[in-house]
Amino acid sequence: MTEKDFWRNSQVTVVGGGSWGIVLAQLAAQNCQEVRLWLRDESQARAINSTRVSPKYLPGTVISPKVRAMVEPDRAMAVGEGGVSTVIWALPSSVARDQARVFAPYFTGSEVVIHATKGIESGSLKRISEVLAEELPLHRIGVVSGPNLAAEVARGEPAATVVASDFEEVIEAGQHVLSTPKFRVYSASDMVGVEWAGTLKNILAIAAGALDALGMGWNARAMLITRGLAEMVRFGVAMGAETQTFLGLAGMGDLMATCGSPLSRNYRVGAALAKGEPIEKILAELGATAEGVRTARTVREFAVERGISMPICEGVFDLVTGRSTVKQALEALMARPQVPEF
Amino acid sequence: MSESTESPQALAAAAPDSAVPSGPWRPLIHTPLENFSKLRPKVLERVVARTSQELSSQSSELLLGEALYQERVRIKRGGDNLFTKGRTRRDRQVLSKIQSGLLRPPGQSDRQELLRTLVSHYSEEIGGHFDPRVYQFATNALPIFFNWLLNAASVQQFNPWKQRDLINSQLIINGEVDHLVSLARKGTILMVPTHQSNIDSMLIGFIIYMLRLPPFAYGAGLNLFNNPVLSFFMSNLGAYTVDRRKSNAIYKNTLKNYSTAILREGVHSIFFPGGGRSRSGAIESKLKLGLLGTALEAQTENLIAGSEKPNVYVVPMVMSYHYVLEAASLIEDYLADAGKHRFIITDDESFQPTTVARFFWRLFSAHSKITVRIGRPLDVFGNFVDEAGRSIGPNGTTIDPRAWLTTRGVLCKNAQRDREYTEALGGQISERFHRENTVLSSHLVAFSYFEALRQKYPHLDLYRFLRLSRAQRTLTVEEFLAAAERHRGAVLTRALHRELHVCPELTMADSGGEGFHGERVLPSWVREGIRQLGQLHDSAVVKVEGDEVFTEDMTLLYYYRNRLAGYGLSLRASELKGQLQGTHDRKGFLA
Repeated sequence: MTEKDFWRNSQVTVVGGGSWGIVLAQLAAQNCQEVRLWLRDESQARAINSTRVSPKYLPGTVISPKVRAMVEPDRAMAVGEGGVSTVIWALPSSVARDQARVFAPYFTGSEVVIHATKGIESGSLKRISEVLAEELPLHRIGVVSGPNLAAEVARGEPAATVVASDFEEVIEAGQHVLSTPKFRVYSASDMVGVEWAGTLKNILAIAAGALDALGMGWNARAMLITRGLAEMVRFGVAMGAETQTFLGLAGMGDLMATCGSPLSRNYRVGAALAKGEPIEKILAELGATAEGVRTARTVREFAVERGISMPICEGVFDLVTGRSTVKQALEALMARPQVPEF
Repeated sequence: MSESTESPQALAAAAPDSAVPSGPWRPLIHTPLENFSKLRPKVLERVVARTSQELSSQSSELLLGEALYQERVRIKRGGDNLFTKGRTRRDRQVLSKIQSGLLRPPGQSDRQELLRTLVSHYSEEIGGHFDPRVYQFATNALPIFFNWLLNAASVQQFNPWKQRDLINSQLIINGEVDHLVSLARKGTILMVPTHQSNIDSMLIGFIIYMLRLPPFAYGAGLNLFNNPVLSFFMSNLGAYTVDRRKSNAIYKNTLKNYSTAILREGVHSIFFPGGGRSRSGAIESKLKLGLLGTALEAQTENLIAGSEKPNVYVVPMVMSYHYVLEAASLIEDYLADAGKHRFIITDDESFQPTTVARFFWRLFSAHSKITVRIGRPLDVFGNFVDEAGRSIGPNGTTIDPRAWLTTRGVLCKNAQRDREYTEALGGQISERFHRENTVLSSHLVAFSYFEALRQKYPHLDLYRFLRLSRAQRTLTVEEFLAAAERHRGAVLTRALHRELHVCPELTMADSGGEGFHGERVLPSWVREGIRQLGQLHDSAVVKVEGDEVFTEDMTLLYYYRNRLAGYGLSLRASELKGQLQGTHDRKGFLA
């Protein structure tokens, strides 16, 4: 049996039935025999199994019949013929640890886990791969991240992503399970960089949403993206990442997609903030997780402690905590002392 | 499991030698090493076959040429003595044969055959022996010898032949001894000790004896074979030779495969994962993963072959000394290397029979206890193992090693995957070394004095600091004692959090006071620490005179101070985030 045959004949379980989780399940269904989709909400599961549509997250997409939705972890992880080979972890960062504890007993240890969370554990500043390694009885963990707006990938528009892991077989699994003619999967070994890039760009997406809502032009957005990337690199390198990862799909790529698209949840939060809506109301109306809000808090705290200069992150932090308006934050940023670019 | 919450008092009160079994001596378990004479040809044959096969993917011509060059350089450098001459002569003979073979065209001399010749020469050199009669003799003679030494050295009652209880002697063994013994029945033990001194090798032999374990195969540095008596015992008790000067790929592969082969046979083994002795005096944080990986390799092969007892258990062991025989040359080597001024290879001139004898004499006459801790056993991935030999995962899960070793649905070896696993194991061993370490009064005295002095000169880097003048490096007793008490508190807090262990003197410390004539009396643990530091070296590491505390040897002081590096206790450690073990702060000190 070739590599490809093995992964394509194996069973995939996707944990998390948000929009990205469903899209990842869709991608896997194009390559593998069976995909089990675990989600929390029973009515959603029933809706997906009977109508092949997720009314809440992806109303316009017909979900493949190979995807079976379920709410019981034991069923989702139940050993089929060859056992579950790949687990795709697509839950928000806030529930990563608790859900990992719930799922831990159902792992045999032969699985590879690829997580798709663009966030970190708040407070501890641990990456999701670290959280999973601490809670699950296995070491073979990787991450998938890139400029992948769920709705666009669901429509079948071309996109690319990157899978990173210390283990080559995790990357191999990710490439075989997720790649389709419309979805290219690159590999990387800098897991730290890929995870941090995916996390940090959410902060900048909020700022981008705010700028656009105020009708500022392309120059302003270019300034934000470029200077924001510089902040991401500074922080990432301090966390042990490699600079070039930030120039790739997970860094620059994701930044451009998120900062330019109203499809991004974090972007929508920023836009609403610029219109003067209170943060609680925005988050309640969003109905889905905006990782950037939590991340801004945690990252800013650490940056201050370590003396890493992150003025834009500081501005977003002030914004989401209600310390300043978009205008004030922007003025403060523009009034900073003149410094060399690099 | 002893890793529960205990107060410092409870720690101290727990009988430190309870780990040592009592009653007449007989090994608690058996090992295939006892039949090693039968096993040896089979093991060596497998090593040769395996090594030749592994290397066959590369050009033999190139490999041999490289090995030949490196070996010639090594031999030219010399450093032989009376006892290694024969070995070098044999090396020369084989190397000449290889060289003349390589000079002939490939049609006339088979390169593969030449490679096999060199590999079998190396494996013959590495492979140990085991002679049951020597073992019998040693186990009978050892207690008599040690008792004699013990009693002869104790000045109070000079009666060398009077038997004294070994258990109350100078060696304290604690930790997971029962766990170790029960695992030795369920699988193969790979003991990985910290390495500070050449004394370790002898001590470990004695510890194994004390714990009633059977003989362990033992990767011993070539220098231990320099002494004919020691060499005789070592090579007949399962020790295999590790020649660190041979750095060519062929030798390294042979050595690795020998280790794998004997682990596969179920021969309990020991090797020092740090490679050589710790140069800085700190606990090892960078381990040799190549040799360490043989544990995983052996277990995988066992599982594939369906062996009855496939598991290899890795047991860390931490030895704490008050003073180290080679401290001066080790730290000098470390500073020279770290400072990049020059590169010297310390030969072991200090390791003469007379100096060793002096060490043991001091040890026994001065009541300098050596503390040894057997750490919690790990599996080959670095997970903890329970009494039944099962690997423990997070959240109450147990881990099936087969599952971890299954790639694409097949139980197999996988070089890249296994490297990652072994790296995790290495990280975990280093972590356990730090946690299983027992802090002795002397370590804390050296650390406290050094750090108190640093507080006076926070801006100096390591090299300028070490060159402070005698007047500059003098503290008042008050300054020193304040630092000592502060650090004792910090160490005790860490002991409560299970980050390290402390010796009883540190938990039940008095605060000193005034003597009969109104003179200052230091706390007893400080006095003890200073006394112990002064046992071996000619210059005082820490000395108190009147109201002043000073050191006569800054580099030695740094060496002993480093034992407490890696815990975040030092002056600038708070500036560093993340892993502290083995890292230097901005001024070049071990954090």
